[in-house]
Parts: sequence; structure tokens; C-alpha cells
Amino acid sequence: MMTYYLQNALRGIKRSPGLSLLVVAAIAIGIGVSITMLTVYHLMSSNPVPEKSEQLFRVQVDSWDPLRPFDDDRPERAPHQMTWRDAMAILEQAPAPRQVAMFEALVIIQPPDAQQLPFEATTRMANGDFFPMFNVPFLYGGGWSRHEDEAATQVAVLSRTLNDKLYGGDNSVGKKLVINDRVFTITGVMNSWSPVPRFYDVINSPFQEVSEIFLPVALTPGMEMRSAGSDWGWKAERINTFEDWLASESAWLQFWAELPTSADQRTYLSFLDAYANEQKLLGRFQRPINNHIHDVMAWMAYMEVVEEDVAVLVGLGFLFLLVCLLSSVALLLTKFNGMSAEMSLRRALGATRMQIVGQNLTEVSIIGLTGGVFGLLFTMLSLYGIKSMISRVPDALFRLDGTMIAAAIGLSVLAAVLAGLYPAIRACTLTPAQQLKTQ
Amino acid sequence: MEFGPVIRALRHHKTGTLLAALQIAVSLAIIVNASFIIKQRADKISRPTGMDTDNIIVVSIRGVGENYDTVANITADLNLLRNLPGVVDAAPINQVPLSGSGSSTGLRTIADENVQAISTARYQTDEHSMNTLGVNLIRGRNFYPEEIEPFIPGKTERKTPAVIVVTQALADSLYPDDDALGKPVYWGDMSSSTIVGIIDHMQGSWVSWDGLDRNMIHPGIQADTFVRYIIRTEPGERDRLLPIIEERLTERNRQRVLRYIRTHEELIQRSYELDRVMARVLLIIISLLIAITALVIVGLASYFVSQRTRQIGTRRALGATRADIIRYFLLENWLITTLGAVAGCVLTVLVAYWLETSFELPRLDWRYPVAGVVVLWIISQAAAWVPAWRAAQIPPAIATRNV
Repeated sequence: MMTYYLQNALRGIKRSPGLSLLVVAAIAIGIGVSITMLTVYHLMSSNPVPEKSEQLFRVQVDSWDPLRPFDDDRPERAPHQMTWRDAMAILEQAPAPRQVAMFEALVIIQPPDAQQLPFEATTRMANGDFFPMFNVPFLYGGGWSRHEDEAATQVAVLSRTLNDKLYGGDNSVGKKLVINDRVFTITGVMNSWSPVPRFYDVINSPFQEVSEIFLPVALTPGMEMRSAGSDWGWKAERINTFEDWLASESAWLQFWAELPTSADQRTYLSFLDAYANEQKLLGRFQRPINNHIHDVMAWMAYMEVVEEDVAVLVGLGFLFLLVCLLSSVALLLTKFNGMSAEMSLRRALGATRMQIVGQNLTEVSIIGLTGGVFGLLFTMLSLYGIKSMISRVPDALFRLDGTMIAAAIGLSVLAAVLAGLYPAIRACTLTPAQQLKTQ
Repeated sequence: MEFGPVIRALRHHKTGTLLAALQIAVSLAIIVNASFIIKQRADKISRPTGMDTDNIIVVSIRGVGENYDTVANITADLNLLRNLPGVVDAAPINQVPLSGSGSSTGLRTIADENVQAISTARYQTDEHSMNTLGVNLIRGRNFYPEEIEPFIPGKTERKTPAVIVVTQALADSLYPDDDALGKPVYWGDMSSSTIVGIIDHMQGSWVSWDGLDRNMIHPGIQADTFVRYIIRTEPGERDRLLPIIEERLTERNRQRVLRYIRTHEELIQRSYELDRVMARVLLIIISLLIAITALVIVGLASYFVSQRTRQIGTRRALGATRADIIRYFLLENWLITTLGAVAGCVLTVLVAYWLETSFELPRLDWRYPVAGVVVLWIISQAAAWVPAWRAAQIPPAIATRNV
């Protein structure tokens, strides 16, 4: 039966190739446009660490201006980043199995080959908990220990890209590297790691590759490392020396804590409140207590990581798909109308209505599936096109994954069947006698 | 003319007609709203910068090593740049306009913390900056060379500048009812500077910030290991000079890293990159939509024609001219399009409302739906022309034949 349907369907398609082609094209373009937008949206709003996104918390304490909130438009918000003093104190005292204080910086690397010119590399200053906390994959070696954090040892973790560039991809663990005129020992080389969004730092662009090199944050005072990312300040302070800068109310560090249970979270929050009260006695934290922890996905929502433009495009993309669907229905209706004589003949020869509907739906599904396949090709093409228009974004933001492929195929068949259902049913509800008579 | 027969005929194809009209309605909603967004982005990108951005080159350098003499290097670099043939002027600057990064500060006209400060981008540079940027100083004066002092972090004391120059937009925000020239402004620590000059217009660092036009220039050189220079070339000399400048600066001192050398134009393009992508994607969507609409109209009209071959033949036999037949099909098409357009206007407003409320987009300009309807009329009539013309070619004799 199925092969008979298929054969008939192919004949039906062949009979009106122009119309069939037009329906395939309409579905392909509709699927292509909507799935392209949906893919980018889906990736932008995806969970970058599903295995522990509910255990990782972004920490905020309100150290802001007594006179004004951090964000005038949303006065309930605490500052998005922390001061050096608070970050270091909380890192040392807070009750959490793992915590990380970090910021983005730029360093000068002297390649081991002395013939090569020194170059600038993006750096993340962080403590060693960063690597186990965020499940960073390693190619060689690993991160550094708390002991090395405490001693402010000159150790470094390289990204795979930088290791390729400096050592041609060889195992460089234990090698010495000159960074900002200091000699560092490499403890590990990260494997390719490109979380989308780059959840651990969405303030300095949520869609960017990870830094090229990681160094202990404890080296900040010694190396006089300035943040190359955002910093916010509210207090007029005269900053002449690096010590002035470290002691200032400028907020330039991002802070995360790993808190596996809700009991841990409660304990942690009460610690933050106690810390704020302690600081109040010292004349700081003059605002009402306003400390927060957000888990990964809550933080992504809080920081509005998904580009507004993409949401607009998803909306317009689905309206576009609706246009294509309406076109398909109109065209299929036309097509089946043209075939009513044949259907009537079959009905007169004993085919049931269900059989005719089944026949028609087979034809429509073939058209839908073909449209879906071309739609996927079109999606890949347009994702590539959009990617090539934007500089400095990770490829992972434009990768078609299994979910989206399944969504595209499913959507196209669903679209075609929806578009074809009415015409297919309508075509066979006509009374055969009447149709045959008009011949 | 023959509204009656056309409408009666369409009634026979209720579903097809309705679907086609609905398709046109949704298309109109997309086309109009997308065009409106494109127009906003185009306007945003083409705002006047107030600067000679076409002839500016931006360089960023970082000194390496403990004994890198920042002041001596800056002096030598600027000497080299300013004496290069083809270069109009060069200046050190702490941030580059329209680059997307930089620093801002708050200024007040009263020394009181409780007064809300006016935020402004803050450019620290020397007396060559205005000539280098190509901004127009309409009142007051430029800085004197003796007002430019280097600040060496950790070595010299940071001082509040005695004088500043502001853009007209900042002057108007600070002193809305008064002439700002010669007036004081207070920094966060309540130290003050005097406004000695006003620039008519200059855009700041962040293209999506509503304070883009509020800018302040204060004298001084940040003698850090990081430095940025802006260089203005004679018109048309920029691209020739860029590699030369790169080479000369690298040669002058190899103990440092040339972080980047780019045209200002490239930096600006990057700042508007996402706006440009949005506009382009929407443009592609509109084009595809118009193509699909046109194809569907051709397909449907062709079908209508093929269904009525005999009817057309009969009409022709009864004396209808070819022009009558064409007119008939064009009228039919016009009716469907207009039906769709009316529904489309309602849908357009709904989509515009969704965009306005969910994404803080401005309210849709009423002229856009009007223009959209006109465009759809033209496209659908053009698309229907081919099948209509083909219908007109059907000979009257066909009516007498058996089908």
C-alpha cells in the first residue's frame, strides 16, 4: 500500500512540477529563515554548564554609593562586580567549597623563540578553583592548587590555541614562559573550551572566546595588573599609586561560589550579610543590606544575555514561516483542485475517503520532507553568512545542533501536513459524481 | 467596471482568495516593521560624527619592561608622527571616539553630592587633539601647551585640570539656561575646572549610549605603558600612510608591542557591526518575502487562468477585447491584494505594538504601512501581469472546442 501511495505521490508531483516546486521552495525558505533565527536564539539562551548550573552562583554585595543605587533605573540591583578588598576578604573567609574571584587583563608574552617579537595576550586573573569549578577540560596537566594561590606562585594555564601558537601543540607542562618580564611555570594546557554563552564573564561580552592564558589573581598587586574589562566606580578617590587603586571602591572583579545544597546557599548569604554589617562598622556599605547570589541561568537572565535583536528576528522569522505556510496551503489547494477529477475517478472506482486522504498526505509529506532538507541546507548557508558578517564571535554560536536539525525536519513535515491537510481533505469531500459530470 | 462579476468569481474560490489575502497581510506586517527597523539602524549609523573620521588612523602601543620611559617614548612618537609628510597632526588620547570602550565621569554645576551629576565621556589629550580629530571649536579657545602635563601612575600626583573643553550638547545639559563658556564644573571630588571652549559637535565612545553627544576634553597625557595615538592624514593619504606609520613606530623602539594600528573607519564599522548585520538580515528577509509573494501570485493567477480557459474563450467570442481580459485578471488580483492589505494594516500595527512594548523600539511611523501597501500593489499587479497577459492570448475559438 505504502509503495503504491509513494508511486502515486511521485506521479502527482510530476504532474504539476511548477506548483510542487513552488511549495518545496516556500517550505524550504520558511524553514531556513525561522530555524536560522531559532538556532542563534537557542544557542544564546542555552545552558553552558548543564551539569552544575544550579550549583554555581554569581555573588554580589552592595558596596555602592550611600546616595544613589548602582543602577538608577533598577534601584534594587546591587553592583555587578566587586571591589578588590571585598573580593579578597570574601574569598578568604566565606564558607564555600570553591570560590573564584577574577578579572580580565592583558599581558605581554615573550615567545620561547627569542627571534619572535613579544605579543599581547588576553588573560584571566583567577584563583585555582576556577578550573574544577567550571569543569574546564585539560589537554595536558591541570590547574594550580590553593597552596600556589596562597604563595602567589608564578604559574600559568594556557589555552589550547596559545599552546599551539607557542609550542606547536606539544605538551608544555613544566616549561617556563616569560610574561610581563616574569618567569612563569606552565601547569596545564586547556583543551578546546568555548562555553556559549561565556557564562563566567558575560559582562565583558557574553559571546567571546575564553582568554588565552590564566594566571593567579594573587599576583595582581605584585604585577600591578589592571583590569582590561569593565570597572565601575562611584566614589571620588584620588588614585595615584596601585595601592590606592586596590584600596578604592572601584568594582572590577567578578565573583562566583560553588554552593551544592540550599543549606550551603543560605549559610553563604548569611555570611555575606554578616560581612556587610562588619563593613558598615568600618564606615563602608552605607546602603541597606542588598547582597545576592544568582545561579548560572538566573544570572544569564539577569544580565539579559540574549540579544534583543535576535528575539525580534525569531518573532519575524516565525511570521515569515507563517507566510510560507499560507502560500503552501493556497498552492496545494490549487494543486489538489486540479487533481479532483482523478480523485473522483478513484473514488468512483471504490477508493475510500481515508485512502484518498492518505494518498494526498503522502504526497504532501514528501513535499514537506524535501522542503525540510533544502531548508536545512539553506539554514546552514545563512548561519555561515551571518557568522561571516560578525567579527570576534565563537563559531559555536552558529552551529546547527541535533535539536535544531530535528526541529527543522519536524517543523517542515508538520508545516507541510498542516498546509496539506485541509486541501487534501477538501479535495476528497467533493462528491465524485459531480466532479465527473463536469468533465 | 466589472466589480460584480469579479467578486462573484472570487466567491467561488473563497478559501484560495482568503489564503492569498492572509498571506499578503502577514507579508505586509513583516515588510513594514522590518523596513522601519532598517531605517532606524541606517539613521543610527549615518549620524554625523563631527570628526574627520575618513582620514584618521588609530594606534595603540604598549611598552615592555621595568625601565620603559613612558614620557620620553610618547614625546618621540609624537615627534615622528607629526613630522611625517602627509600627516596633518597627531595626538595622544586616553580613549578613541566611537570605539566602544573608554571611560566616563559625572560633572555637576554645583558642588553638592546630592545633585545628580551629568555623565559624559572623558577625553584626556593635548592641544593637538582638536586639529587631529577635525572637530570644530566654535567658541572659546584650545588648550595652551603649558596646560598639558603628563601623569605618570605611581610617580606623579593626579591633578584636576584647570580648564576643559566641552561639546555643545554637554554645555546645554550642564547649563540649560545659561552660557556655559567661562563657567565652572565640579568633578566627583568637588574640585573644579573652567569651561574654556565649546565644540559644536563630536560623538563619544559608545554608539548605543544616549549620551553619545556629551563629551569633555581635558588637557593632560596619561603616561602609562599603554598609549593610544590618533593621527589625521591629508585627504586620501590614509591608506598609503598606515603601513608606513606601522613600520616607523615599530622601528623607533622594538622594546614594545604595537597592539593595533587601524583606520578610524574600521573601528567605527565594528561599533556598528551588529546594527549592520540586523539591517542586512532584515533586508534579505524582505527580499525573500517579496519574491515568495510574487511567485505565489503568479502561481495562483496562472491556476485561475487555466481553470477558466473556456470562460475566457467564451467572453472573447462574445466580443471582449484582450485588454478587457487583462483588466479582469488585474482587477481580481487588485481586490485580493487590497483585501490582504486592509487586514495587513491591522496586523502591522499589532506587530509594531509587540515590538514597541517588548523591545523598547520606537513607535511605528504611519507612513510606513501606507508605503508598504503601495509597494504591495505594484508588486502584485506586476506579478499578475504575466498570467493575465497569457489569458488574453486565449483565442475565442477555444470556447467552441470540447475540453
